[in-house]
Amino acid sequence: MQSNRMLPNRSRTSVLVFLLPPLLLYGAAVLFPILQSLFLSFFSWNGISDMEFVGVDNYVRMFVADDIFWRAFLNALVYLAICLVLQLGGALVVASLLTSLRRGRELIKTLYLLPAVISTVAIAFLFVRIYSLEPVGLLNQLFHWMGLGSLERPWLSDVNTVLAAVSAPEGWRFTGLYMLIIYAALLAVPKELEEAAVLDGASRWTLFTKIRFPYIRPVWITTTIMATTYGLRGFDIPYLMTNGGPGQSSELLTTYMYKTAFTSTDFGYASTISVFIVVECLVAVGLILFLLKRKADA
Amino acid sequence: MKNMFRAAAAAAVTALALTACGGASSTDPSNVSPTGEIKAREISWLLSRPADGAVINIMKKLADDYAKDHPGFELNLITTPDRPSYIQKLETLAAANKLPELFDTDATPFAQQLAKQGKMVDAEKLLESLDIYDNYRPGALDYQRFDDGSLYMIPFQFELEFIWYNKALLEKAGVAVPTSLDDIPAMCTALRSAGITPIAIDGQDQWPLERYIAYQPFREAGPEFVQKLKKGEAKFSDPAGQKTLNWMAELGKAKCFQDGFSAQGYSDAQNQFTSGQAAMYNIGTWELPSLATDKLDPAVRNDIDFFTLPTTAGSVTAANEFVSPSGIGMAVNATTYDPLVSDFLKFALEKYPAEYAATGALSPTTDVETVVPANATPLYQKALDQADGLGSKQAMPWDTQLDPTTNGRLQQELVLLVQGNITPEQFTETMDKAIAQNAPKFFK
Repeated sequence: MQSNRMLPNRSRTSVLVFLLPPLLLYGAAVLFPILQSLFLSFFSWNGISDMEFVGVDNYVRMFVADDIFWRAFLNALVYLAICLVLQLGGALVVASLLTSLRRGRELIKTLYLLPAVISTVAIAFLFVRIYSLEPVGLLNQLFHWMGLGSLERPWLSDVNTVLAAVSAPEGWRFTGLYMLIIYAALLAVPKELEEAAVLDGASRWTLFTKIRFPYIRPVWITTTIMATTYGLRGFDIPYLMTNGGPGQSSELLTTYMYKTAFTSTDFGYASTISVFIVVECLVAVGLILFLLKRKADA
Repeated sequence: MKNMFRAAAAAAVTALALTACGGASSTDPSNVSPTGEIKAREISWLLSRPADGAVINIMKKLADDYAKDHPGFELNLITTPDRPSYIQKLETLAAANKLPELFDTDATPFAQQLAKQGKMVDAEKLLESLDIYDNYRPGALDYQRFDDGSLYMIPFQFELEFIWYNKALLEKAGVAVPTSLDDIPAMCTALRSAGITPIAIDGQDQWPLERYIAYQPFREAGPEFVQKLKKGEAKFSDPAGQKTLNWMAELGKAKCFQDGFSAQGYSDAQNQFTSGQAAMYNIGTWELPSLATDKLDPAVRNDIDFFTLPTTAGSVTAANEFVSPSGIGMAVNATTYDPLVSDFLKFALEKYPAEYAATGALSPTTDVETVVPANATPLYQKALDQADGLGSKQAMPWDTQLDPTTNGRLQQELVLLVQGNITPEQFTETMDKAIAQNAPKFFK
């Protein structure tokens, strides 16, 4: 075959030629802004005045003097945890159940995937209605019908519930997407392995922990990294639903950064926060790889 | 390096920059009558007004009329009605030095910085040169002025803010129209015990609640309080500050606002009032078409009335002095100001008031009479009449006064205060600290 013989000779240059444009694009669209943020984080700049070099002042302010920053950081972690449980946990459960289903798989897959294709703004408005108390929304109405009147509350105005209330839609939204990925991975688990284990008397749980999960671990790592980085960068739904409020109860690092940049026009300090977000994402990915790889080796 | 960043920032807003002509030549902001030939071209107005509202419709029509005599002229209107998004757009374009010929802004600290840098044409001189300065209502111009009295924005509206109320609901609860601001908490308690939501408020947009914090200091210490407060010269720990914080906390305790108000939007609040669920609603004359015409639900139409901002015992401002904004103003970019822009403004500003008054709205000028629409209720004329007897002072909305960082924090803390999540003492500490931290950067 002609092509097979030609490829090895040309492959290096041709691969490079084909890789270069996306690499340049990636550099311009991702790396350059990150470096630019890093640079800006050492300045005080409101957009219209002259830029003033302030050294590490912005970082000192962030770590030592800014109470909202730490509040937003903790909120972001809680938001991440809720999203991960809903997205990965929910996805795994639904995908596992799907594999044992004989009929209607396509329908259920589509239903679960549906929220991922609805616009974020629509989802945000939908959930504002669902959580509302005056006029009564769906959630409070349900509690009322179930006789759980004590649970009725304005979910988005109560400082104790608002963070969970804005995290849930984001988690709910992408459960279907991760479910699809995990479901595909589960389908690829060799049937003969499972059958052999069943013959040896393995319970469903053993089957899952000893055969299925180890088999889908690479896919699991990828989905965990995807879900974590998306969770850490979560912005739109909390911003649209509560704008970080009441107070700073649902303020995430991302919404805080956005406000610092575009409401306070403090571009230097906003860049400092964005540098922190980049580092935070890198650390999170490193941690996931480290933990899951170590488990796999053990 | 700085230029590179400016260029990058400009790239980030390319979509807008395409429509915005950033002229490079710098001109003297006080030179309001540029000489030279009028060369017709396309100019842009970056604005934050309802897309199908009277201002835009009229200016479009006037621009079309102007283009008949000046082929090649076009007025490109780019509107972003959502105010926070608009402000972000404006600030980004300002940072990229790409502001269009005309742009909307309130008299904010940010706008004042632009004016100081000579980026805006002196509006007082401009209106004087067009010989229409004296037509404007003093209050309409004052609303646009910076603290030093300078004027850089031109008003296109004039609005009065009232507290609208439902007579039947007040009667049902056995309460009367409040004669003092201090009566309101007790009034709320009575309304609540009658099963009525006392006040419908749009908490999502935050400015409506921020209006309330401005009322007590305006009565207690006059319009100067917020001017001093924003610079750190007055504090929340001062008597006027404490009075308003305690009052806000009382409003919260008396459950004056609907439950979960912080997540409810503009139309949610208005619906609660117009459907007869809420007893009071604080809004301006821009809502006259929905509150004082036959568009209003017949079930409540005859029960709706309004009162103006109550005074307090020992009030230093009078009953005819309250919030009377002239809306977001239009600034003229000094760097792109040329004979064409000047000539178009002369043409448009002279014809605008008559057209605007014909839509049933209050003109920022006094040379025209508002045409009351055919479907209006008697309340419409009553509301318009209030414009004639105004005092010389007006309560400024605080969101146009404070620096943006302090303002953002204040809006957040205010919700917590009213919800009872923090005490007035905590609020005082947080906000006095925030002002001390942020104000110096903006009011150098």
